[in-house]
Amino acid sequence: MIIDLFSGRYLRSIMLLLVLSIGISAAGQEIDILIKNGHVIDPGNNIDEQMDVAISGGKILKVAKGISSAGAKRTIDAKGMYVTPGFIDPHTHVFVGSNQGFADGFSCVSPDDITLKSGITTVVDAGTSGWRNFPLLKKNVIDRSVTRVLVFLNIAGGGMTGFPSEEDMNDMDARMTSLVIKQSPEIIVGVKLGHFRGKEWTPFERSMEACEIANVPFFLECHLPEYPLDELLKRMRPGDIFSHTYCTASDRECILDESGKLKNSVIEAKKKGVLFDVGHGGGMFHFDVAIPALKQGLVPNSFGSDLHRSSMNSGMKNMLETMSKFLNLGMSLKDVINSATWSPASAIKRADLGNLGPGAEADIAIISVRKGTFGFIDTKNTRLTGDRRLEAEMTIKAGRVVWDMNGLGAKSLAVK
Amino acid sequence: MKQNENHNLNILAFGIAFLMLFFLKGITISAEAQSIDILLKGGHVIDPKNNIDEKMDIAISDGIVKQVAKDIPVKNVRRVVDVTGMYVTPGLIDMHVHAFQGNDPESYIANGWDALPPDGFTFRAGVTTVVDAGSAGWRNFRTFKKQTIDRSKTRVLAFLNIVGVGMLGRFEEQDINDMNQEMAAYMITRLYPDILVGVKSAHYWGPDFTQVDQAVKAGTIANVPVMVDLGEHHPPLPIEELFMKHLRPGDIWTHTYANAPKDREVPVDENGKVKPFIFEAQKRGIIFDVGHGGGAFHFAQAIPSIQQGFIADVISSDLHTGSMNGGMKDMTNLLSKFMAMGLSVQDVILRATWIPAKVIKRPELGNLSVGAVADVAVFSLRKGEFGYTDVRAKRLSGTQKLEAELTLREGRVVWDLNGIASQMWNAKP
Repeated sequence: MIIDLFSGRYLRSIMLLLVLSIGISAAGQEIDILIKNGHVIDPGNNIDEQMDVAISGGKILKVAKGISSAGAKRTIDAKGMYVTPGFIDPHTHVFVGSNQGFADGFSCVSPDDITLKSGITTVVDAGTSGWRNFPLLKKNVIDRSVTRVLVFLNIAGGGMTGFPSEEDMNDMDARMTSLVIKQSPEIIVGVKLGHFRGKEWTPFERSMEACEIANVPFFLECHLPEYPLDELLKRMRPGDIFSHTYCTASDRECILDESGKLKNSVIEAKKKGVLFDVGHGGGMFHFDVAIPALKQGLVPNSFGSDLHRSSMNSGMKNMLETMSKFLNLGMSLKDVINSATWSPASAIKRADLGNLGPGAEADIAIISVRKGTFGFIDTKNTRLTGDRRLEAEMTIKAGRVVWDMNGLGAKSLAVK
Repeated sequence: MKQNENHNLNILAFGIAFLMLFFLKGITISAEAQSIDILLKGGHVIDPKNNIDEKMDIAISDGIVKQVAKDIPVKNVRRVVDVTGMYVTPGLIDMHVHAFQGNDPESYIANGWDALPPDGFTFRAGVTTVVDAGSAGWRNFRTFKKQTIDRSKTRVLAFLNIVGVGMLGRFEEQDINDMNQEMAAYMITRLYPDILVGVKSAHYWGPDFTQVDQAVKAGTIANVPVMVDLGEHHPPLPIEELFMKHLRPGDIWTHTYANAPKDREVPVDENGKVKPFIFEAQKRGIIFDVGHGGGAFHFAQAIPSIQQGFIADVISSDLHTGSMNGGMKDMTNLLSKFMAMGLSVQDVILRATWIPAKVIKRPELGNLSVGAVADVAVFSLRKGEFGYTDVRAKRLSGTQKLEAELTLREGRVVWDLNGIASQMWNAKP
């Protein structure tokens, strides 16, 4: 019998089986999730049409028309919805802990509480930690979150420890900051300067020095009352990020002059390649600045939410809501998606994120555009009326469904 | 001269008029001091305690409900909010959450990462009060209070775990020597009677009802209800005996519609029938709480139960990091799910306001009586096609969904979905 088995006929069958199985694994790599019939907007790959998205082993297998569901373990029908890369929120405060204030504090918010239900799969913590306490942020939050948490490292060694300790120029060490960045290049994407009440440019210069050594962008918050706007923008380099763009704040000059015109320095900075982030927050987004600025062409490069405890229930709510605001202010859906995906990914030099190219991590948002009459509020509590609101139907992180608003991926229940 | 006289008279008249004006102005000022901060106008009020289920206006001042009536005039009102077409209800009470968040790496819920601060989930779902279900015991309650309760805008009440260290770890929860009913009762009655509303017994896997009995002893000393999450027992303990012999009327059984019969007896048998003693228990006064969570709500239990008339008294979330992004999501989603299973909007509001208020013996909450704290929720009922999932990712279709439009906590707007309480951005001041 054994000899029989290896006689010509059996051997041929075995060979055929072998060839077949190799063929299957090469051509038809198993699809874990197939998202069918959705309208894919993937600005990084210039896709803006109906396409299917196949996910395998936590990665994007392919994006194409008419992918057969025959080999798919699970098929999700996204008809009438938009399928986009998972969103990137480049301005959050997620270093949550039991202290008062921000660094390791109660003023921060755990990212997963807010992100996944808004289609966000990546956030960048904007300088809540500095080089001294970054390891604690990593242990307590980054390693435990479903959301991918990246970091702008504060030039202040202890991060956002509050006034006056975060003003200590002796604790703004460019070398230490750059060393910690180089130690965790997969997590730390830039240097942040946020709170400084002095006139000295030392904190700014130290930040730039750290950026130069580590070759990362600079992220600027706005609580720097003594820095003239023109000078700030002149000193910023192409690719550096200017946050809290659309506000009239007491501790930063407005981007508009008294007649509502964009200041020349802002136009020049935009031309130079400085990137403008919304940084909505609980007090830093005003329609009476955003609307004229947008009309004059200052489109946001990213929709940073400035998520923290006192912004989350205000007009901000989540980054998707900020995206809806700009959609209703006249930005096209494609441009809105771009500023939530590929544009911030490019800004933080993470071309592996914010797109649905083959091999990319399968971080995906499936959104619907709800029609109706809606109101949106800014941080002066004034309202804008609009007719569309974005809603996150499903969020997928590394190929796993982590949010499913209406049970799109669930089995329907037969009820008698 | 005549003219002068006239003139003088004029001056006199003017003076009197001026004085009168001043006097009247004084009256108006004092009337204005009595004025209304917020008037919710044109909404459909559902206030089960006061048997209100019709179109009414609600006037709020100084953080309390001043008047509930038809057509309250808009005079002397600082802010009128048009809530026509919406439901106005007492702020919801979520009777089962885990809010004792912290960074103790040794712990899971008590001062741990599985718990979460409530404010991110409450106001956007119309909830103004949560009750922590035993995350802390008497040993670590003070940390919980300092760390989360005192810093939250949501009103946080709590069941104190009968285990001294609360929900520190699954093994610690088995320690019979750390179930001190005297200490638990002292904490409730002497130290924190404003916050602590009951005793929790949970996650026990010993061979009998020892943990429940300890909790009931503490509950009896402190005169508060006990909430039981029976844990897992092999073989399962008989819940008829629990309801009829170990618990008192007013005590609470949570995770009502969980479906793991090998670990814990369930109310619906293999043939889809609700066991008769369940109705007896409810009649006896045992309170049934949903406690949806990340693993404790199955349509296989809930749907037959509701069809046969066994409806949980209280609808609650069991909010924690393991449930927040699953089938539970938040209280509006959960209430909408019960509506998809056949309950009316009035019925779900009742089970998330006035019933839990009574269960935790806080009759000042969960209602809109004149003089009550102005914790108010405004919902719109969205029509369309929606899906609701249980913890096994089974989907039930529904045609309506509650959305929290506006939430007031002590008269202050803490959530406004569509800016209905705001001015237009380009309005003239």
